[in-house]
Amino acid sequence: MNYVPGTASLIDDIDKKHLVLLRDGRTLIGYLRSIDQFANLVFHQTVERIHVGKKFGDIPRGIFIVRGENVVLLGEIDVDKPCDTVLQQVSIEEILEEQRLKQQAKQETEKVKMQVLKDRGLSVPKADNLDEY
Amino acid sequence: MFRFQSLNEDCTLEEEDEGPIEEEDEIDQFNDDTFGAGAIDDDWQEEHKRLAELDQLRGGPGLVGGGGMGGESDLGGAEDSSSARLPPAAGNLPLPSLNFSSSSGLPRPDVEDRGGGGDLAESLARLILDADPAIAGVGAAERPGPPPSLSALQGLDRSRVLPQPSPIPHPTQPHQHPHHPQHQLPPGPSTSGLPPSSMLSYQQQQHLMRRGTAPMGQMNSHSIWENNMGFGPVSLTPGLVTHMEDSPLMSIIKEVGLPKQPPQGRNDEVRDLSERVPPPRSSSPVIGSPPVRAVPIGTPPKQPMSHIMNHQIHHPTPVHVRAPVQHRYPPPFPERLSPNTLLNIANSPLCRGPFPPGVGPVLSQIQRAQLLNSQVAGFPRGPAPPLLPGGGGFRPFFGGPPPPHGHRMGPPPPHGPLNHAPPIRHNTTHLHPQHRRMLTQRMQSRGGDRGRIGGDRRSRDPYSNLMTQKEKEWVTKIQMMQLQSTDPYLDDYYYQNYYEKMEKRQERERDSSKKEHTTKLITPQVAKLEHTYRPVQFAGSLGKLTVSSVNNPRKMIDAVVTTRTDDEEKREKQVWNKRRQILYTVEKMYSLLLEVQDFEKRFVQAPEEDREALLEQHKTNTMQLCNSLQEKEWDDRVSDEQCVMIMSVRKGKRLISRLLPFLPPPQAAAIVMAIARNLPALAKKDKQDQVLCWLVEPVSAVIQSLSSSALTDLLQELQGNEGQLATVLLNKFGVTLLYLILSEGERMQSSDPNCQLMDDNRWTELVFSVTRELLSVPSSSLSPPLFTPPNLLSLFSRYVDRQRLELLQDKLQISALSR
Repeated sequence: MNYVPGTASLIDDIDKKHLVLLRDGRTLIGYLRSIDQFANLVFHQTVERIHVGKKFGDIPRGIFIVRGENVVLLGEIDVDKPCDTVLQQVSIEEILEEQRLKQQAKQETEKVKMQVLKDRGLSVPKADNLDEY
Repeated sequence: MFRFQSLNEDCTLEEEDEGPIEEEDEIDQFNDDTFGAGAIDDDWQEEHKRLAELDQLRGGPGLVGGGGMGGESDLGGAEDSSSARLPPAAGNLPLPSLNFSSSSGLPRPDVEDRGGGGDLAESLARLILDADPAIAGVGAAERPGPPPSLSALQGLDRSRVLPQPSPIPHPTQPHQHPHHPQHQLPPGPSTSGLPPSSMLSYQQQQHLMRRGTAPMGQMNSHSIWENNMGFGPVSLTPGLVTHMEDSPLMSIIKEVGLPKQPPQGRNDEVRDLSERVPPPRSSSPVIGSPPVRAVPIGTPPKQPMSHIMNHQIHHPTPVHVRAPVQHRYPPPFPERLSPNTLLNIANSPLCRGPFPPGVGPVLSQIQRAQLLNSQVAGFPRGPAPPLLPGGGGFRPFFGGPPPPHGHRMGPPPPHGPLNHAPPIRHNTTHLHPQHRRMLTQRMQSRGGDRGRIGGDRRSRDPYSNLMTQKEKEWVTKIQMMQLQSTDPYLDDYYYQNYYEKMEKRQERERDSSKKEHTTKLITPQVAKLEHTYRPVQFAGSLGKLTVSSVNNPRKMIDAVVTTRTDDEEKREKQVWNKRRQILYTVEKMYSLLLEVQDFEKRFVQAPEEDREALLEQHKTNTMQLCNSLQEKEWDDRVSDEQCVMIMSVRKGKRLISRLLPFLPPPQAAAIVMAIARNLPALAKKDKQDQVLCWLVEPVSAVIQSLSSSALTDLLQELQGNEGQLATVLLNKFGVTLLYLILSEGERMQSSDPNCQLMDDNRWTELVFSVTRELLSVPSSSLSPPLFTPPNLLSLFSRYVDRQRLELLQDKLQISALSR
């Protein structure tokens, strides 16, 4: 198998269903419609998928243009393959609520951790310097 | 009336100004070229002047024409629609409307005159006809029928206009018209309020002239009506227009006009009349025409007319130009009007713009005149933004829709539907032809694109292939471009090496197990084109024009490479201190060396046909390297001085160590000899650097390739004069070199019993002396060698007795251990 250099190798993937992980941690799933040399991507019929534990929810997003620099990961989704049954799809509201709870919990733990470290005289880098994923 | 006065002034001025006018013509021509025809009313001044002259000559019939106003206004009422919105075909032509009736009527004096019948007028008409066949022709041409392009328009007009009586009413009896309700000549205005002569169209003037001193207002109105009603359809201009295109016409008119010198007294009369004129408004329609509307529309200013004429003149085939454009560009604003229409508007409703409907018509007329003047001048001044559209070629830019006719001044025009038919909209007529062409092309190409894209969408997934093949290729190309390289090893060394390694490994693996080999990057096969930058040069341009691009980046500094003569170089070298000179030589050799080193890789990369040249290059490079080590005086002899000099710097020593493998064996051997010969000196300078050891590997390779005699020579050189060997033994590299030589000799002897070395006494003697030296040197001063060849003992065993051998072994052991 040979491939063309750079993002041009994505040309073969056009019009196929893809999952892309963005720098901010979002996950998008949609049909890749167009690309360019910067790996700017155009997705069609995009959904944003949120995973929380074993649940996931899809938020329809329509057409999505992703600036290339924000792409962490891009991969084709095998449409024919049956969806993994381990995960359970829930409604948008539910998944958003789940996400909120999860983030809350995460913040709580962070807080506790910070406090503990502070008590021990250790400084902790600010949270926004850290990647979220 | 102010109007009148101002006109007079104008006239006189222009008469005086005859000379300059021609120049202005040229200027206008330039403007025309620049902005496209119609951008500027080219000859308006000239026309104005002519018309003004006519007026003056005639002595002011025009000035009197209060009735004209009424009549014109009526016409305006009736024709409102037609004048405001040109029927499609008429777009480029002077309007059928009353305003320009003069133009249409002009050629046909003979017909019209009958009714009005001043003797003078008749004679004038005759004069005209006689004077110029062209005019007669015009009249004739008109009668038969309109040119095809206009036929539609005419048809429309006819249907509308024909029913109306073509009456040339008796000048004195405006009231005779009552039976034509449509005309509704307001008697009041006709007799009274009068547009200054300048406002009258040429035709009107003609009529006036023909009629002599007859009451102007009425005459005007009549003439107008005649034009519109009676001849309207036919005279609509077809003939006129076509003839107008001939610029001579204007001159003819002028000529014709000149002879008719109306009595001066008339002028005064007229003036009086005009002064007496009540505002047209008050002249409410006796006949019942809508007065308000009628008034402003009335008198066509000369300027617009002239504008139209000019327009025609400059665009002999305006229809052709515009027609296609029209279809392509639907008018952005439905109300946008053609230039002609706008002109009409300027004549009528536009003037109203600045004034509330309630304002008296007289005022509006004055205003109109002013506005028109300004308009014509090209720069709208004063309070009338709505006028702008009427002014020049840039109408569309300003183009708010002009107020619909009659929307202020009166009831909607009778022929609604007709009028509503969109007039020709020359939205692009203001553009330069070139610009227009460009737009058209762009439009077409866009259309083409759309079609293509539409065609692509055929597939199971309706949205698939949104990225066309062409676009995909483009992306691929752009990525490929980055990988294009003429010298991959230079541009992307690590990538190349990595893949070399990968390929080797794959081959190995493929041998053992047939494995699917990994993906391989497709790299562009096309060699990069050499872009030589050629600066753009225009004749007569000052300085250099630079066009920078990816291939020709902008030059910040224009660095010029000048070749210096050897003399200069030498002088410079002398100035340098010795060390710098050495470094310079070393640098030069390094660059040569790098070239030589890269040769192999490049040779493999290069296409067949280039290899020859590459080989040549390689040879010359090598030769140069050798030469730089040789003394100039004796060819083929490595210069000790040069060698020592180069090797006196650390860089130089490394250079030699890298250089040796690439030199042809004789040169390499010569260098090793030189090194051996000058080892004490070199060793002394190497105390700090300790880099001589790097030479061991390449030197050993050279030694191994030496012949026995050469080896003997080398040993001889190393031994040198009295005492040299002692100093050599103090040096690590020296000891190692000695061992290497001895070991090589031993290898030769042991491998080949019949070796020449055995027969050569010199070798034996040398080895003896070396052994002696080794034995005599205190072990403390014997420098430990880099390594001790194992066969040294067997060598010594040949030459020394047991006791000494043990001693030697001791020393060697020690040195070997200390290593």
